[in-house]
Amino acid sequence: MNFAATLLVAGLSVGSIYAMIAITLNLTYWTTRTVNFGQGSILMLSAMGTIFLARVGLPLGFAVLVAVGVAAVVMILIERIAIRPAMSESGSMGWAVSTLGVGILLQGLVARYFGSQAVAFPEVLMSSDLYLTVGGIRIGAQYLLVFTFSIVTIAVMEAFLRQTVWGRAVRAVAQDRELAGVMGMPVSGIILISFAVSGMLAGTAGILTAQIIGTVDPAFGFNLLMSGFVAGILGGFGSNIGALVGGLLIGVIEQFASGYVSTALGHGISMVILLLMLAFRPQGLFGTIEVEKA
Amino acid sequence: MKALRSRLSTIFCSPQFVLACALIILIAAPFMTGAQQQMVCFAIISIALAQSLNILSGMTGQISLAHGAFMGIAAFTSVILVKKLGISPLLSIPIGAALSGLIAWLLSFPAARVKEFYLAMMSVGFGMIFSEIVREWESLTGGVMGITGVPSAQLGTFVVAGWVLSTTDYTRALVVFALVMLFTLDRFVRSRWGRALFALHVSEIAARSIGIRSGQIKRQAYLLSGILAGFAGAMYAHLVSYIGPESFEIHRSIEILVMSVVGGLGSLAGQVLGGIVLTFLPLQLEAFADYKFIVYGVVLTLIFVVMPSGLAGVLLDPPRFIANRFRAKAINLSAIPVERKRIVGEEILRWENLRRDFAGLTAVTNFNFSLKGGEVVGLIGPNGSGKSTTINVLTGVYPPSAGRVFLKGQDISALPIEYIASRGMVRTFQDPRLVGRFTVLENVMLGAHLHQKYGWTEALFGLGRVTVDEQSALHRAEAALSLIDMMEFRDSVVDSLPYGYRRLVELARALALDPDVILLDEPGAGLSEAEIGRLKQVVRHLASKGVAVLIVDHHMDLLAQLVDSVVVLDSGEEIFRGSMNDMRSDPLVAECYLGNSDSNATKAEGTHA
Repeated sequence: MNFAATLLVAGLSVGSIYAMIAITLNLTYWTTRTVNFGQGSILMLSAMGTIFLARVGLPLGFAVLVAVGVAAVVMILIERIAIRPAMSESGSMGWAVSTLGVGILLQGLVARYFGSQAVAFPEVLMSSDLYLTVGGIRIGAQYLLVFTFSIVTIAVMEAFLRQTVWGRAVRAVAQDRELAGVMGMPVSGIILISFAVSGMLAGTAGILTAQIIGTVDPAFGFNLLMSGFVAGILGGFGSNIGALVGGLLIGVIEQFASGYVSTALGHGISMVILLLMLAFRPQGLFGTIEVEKA
Repeated sequence: MKALRSRLSTIFCSPQFVLACALIILIAAPFMTGAQQQMVCFAIISIALAQSLNILSGMTGQISLAHGAFMGIAAFTSVILVKKLGISPLLSIPIGAALSGLIAWLLSFPAARVKEFYLAMMSVGFGMIFSEIVREWESLTGGVMGITGVPSAQLGTFVVAGWVLSTTDYTRALVVFALVMLFTLDRFVRSRWGRALFALHVSEIAARSIGIRSGQIKRQAYLLSGILAGFAGAMYAHLVSYIGPESFEIHRSIEILVMSVVGGLGSLAGQVLGGIVLTFLPLQLEAFADYKFIVYGVVLTLIFVVMPSGLAGVLLDPPRFIANRFRAKAINLSAIPVERKRIVGEEILRWENLRRDFAGLTAVTNFNFSLKGGEVVGLIGPNGSGKSTTINVLTGVYPPSAGRVFLKGQDISALPIEYIASRGMVRTFQDPRLVGRFTVLENVMLGAHLHQKYGWTEALFGLGRVTVDEQSALHRAEAALSLIDMMEFRDSVVDSLPYGYRRLVELARALALDPDVILLDEPGAGLSEAEIGRLKQVVRHLASKGVAVLIVDHHMDLLAQLVDSVVVLDSGEEIFRGSMNDMRSDPLVAECYLGNSDSNATKAEGTHA
């Protein structure tokens, strides 16, 4: 029972990060119908960036902010360099390959200059030793904090999308990009915003994950990206609520599979879910099928 | 430059050159150092992998990052069979390749349901599952340690029927494999199947609308790609004598992708270039290993902008997709009829109480109609009145929400698009969906796909009906081109043609099917006066041959000259049926064209048409 509760808490915490990653994918998908295949490297970059900046002497909190900012800037660059020029290629082949390329490039650069070894991540939020005892069950305070932080971030994001002018603009572009352009909305600016916000959230997700795991290596983002993508698919790609539910589910399922069966199953199970979902219900648990235009 | 390129293509792509290269390596093999032999083997394996990926990504447009895993499946299978069961590698390699093919084929089922980047993610997921299984199943795969001492020529343990293969023998065997691969693939690319894959790449719906069975063909493409990657994987295992999970992970898949795009997606010769360059360069440049992934990253990021057709696009002429030997041979054209005999005036198409709803909005409702052979009917109405929806429902793009459609007396309601096409009803689209890199003739040949009967193995090995089918398809395509009066453009690449011509080519492609019913969606839009003249000629010809024609268009003058009668839709309902003249004086029609259209229906059409 105790073990299960611990797994559940860890699962929800990790899952909330997956949800956040899925939402970062949603953001760019809405405005450009593209997904950054190199998003994993953005997660890695901000975590590595934090370590680097902290090492050169920046206060930790400031280092985190700068690293998240860098993630946003890199995302904007990706839109400009890798996505926009590749849109002329029919289908997703162009941008899928080019964003994958950026991801590999970033990973390669970081590996080249920081080495491929895992680097310890500083305790940004609090020590991993702290825990609360609720009803005789020990719960890592860090897990709780990460969970709360992710959920609040997601909520703020939703509020931004629903309440602010720019947020509504993003949603308008998501609805109908051409029409939004015809109506005089600065579509390309809105796209940049969606990428910047996506980068900031991805950066945050990377730092939170690094906090939980304790170390970062150049390849650190790839599996995370996949789990985030599975979360999105499970809930219905493009839906934030779906991402949240999907993320939490995947997080908990992975933890239970690792805890009760084997770590390998923990790694593999979300991929199995991905294949099954795409085979039988590609629109996700809550999504609706998009009618293909003829 | 252009002359140089075409000179280079003639040499590089000629069978004699390929054979000569192979012969030189076969003869020189004993005089090479071990390292050189290994390099040749690596290059051949790389070429096979690039070709394998090209079938899926370059031709079919299916992004795959699972090719490392496809390799691994065959590699592990072959090694385990040889080491644990003592099976001869001569058998174990093909068995491994077959298993890779089978698993790739199975993967094609979920893959058929998803598109674009979902597919890429799916293939990544599949690769990750494979590597987890390899890591966990220690008793069989050696887990993370992998399997060492794999029977190989290098170790002197590669034994076929008591004969210990030397590294020279192994190199020679691989050269022979490469020859077989290149010659079969070359036939395949220039077959109806190869062309069909390109058509699917451009537009699945358009390909299906001319009778290309997308599901079946994609599964075959996965199968073929899997087998090829499998052969490469198994040959790799018996070359390097060690396999472990990390040999077949995402990095390998990315490496294969880099080879393929650097060589040039869609080009067979390009894959050879890509495979060779990415095998030799890293070995020549010491520094490359350190910067490998940085270089790969840069290449992948920029390739589609800087060099979209890869090395092949720079060095070689674009590939062609009809084999010259079929074009060169004189055949008795008149012996092959291109048009079926039809009876003018016989009912061909009928629909009853047709309805189609979209998320609660009704786009078409309660629509009854029938078409006779040789009849030309105009379907008109304001934007959003349900014209395009009608065509889409009739041809199977959307199943009807209610009602039935009969083609030549048979119920075809809710049949998939490709089956409706094969029963003799074909359509054109508002925007021509042709294969841009194909010539006019190659595109129109696609329309004859249904009339060709040869299968994949026949295509690969040039057996059976291939010659007859290709020649008669060529004949059909040329007849269709003559009908639209575009024979002089038959070897022009479609991308280089103006819009109006492309629309006519699409029409010719539909004609090559020899349909009983043809549905034209705004055929006059974007055409010049002269082109409209050709369009009229074609429609009249079809009518005289007993083909039923349904035309959706806003161009009233064009319709007035062509149609026997018109049907007017407004908000998804029929409001008029009769002659053009009567329509002009009909008060209901006048009202709907003066802007009293229902806003709901407009929306329905707006989102779905």
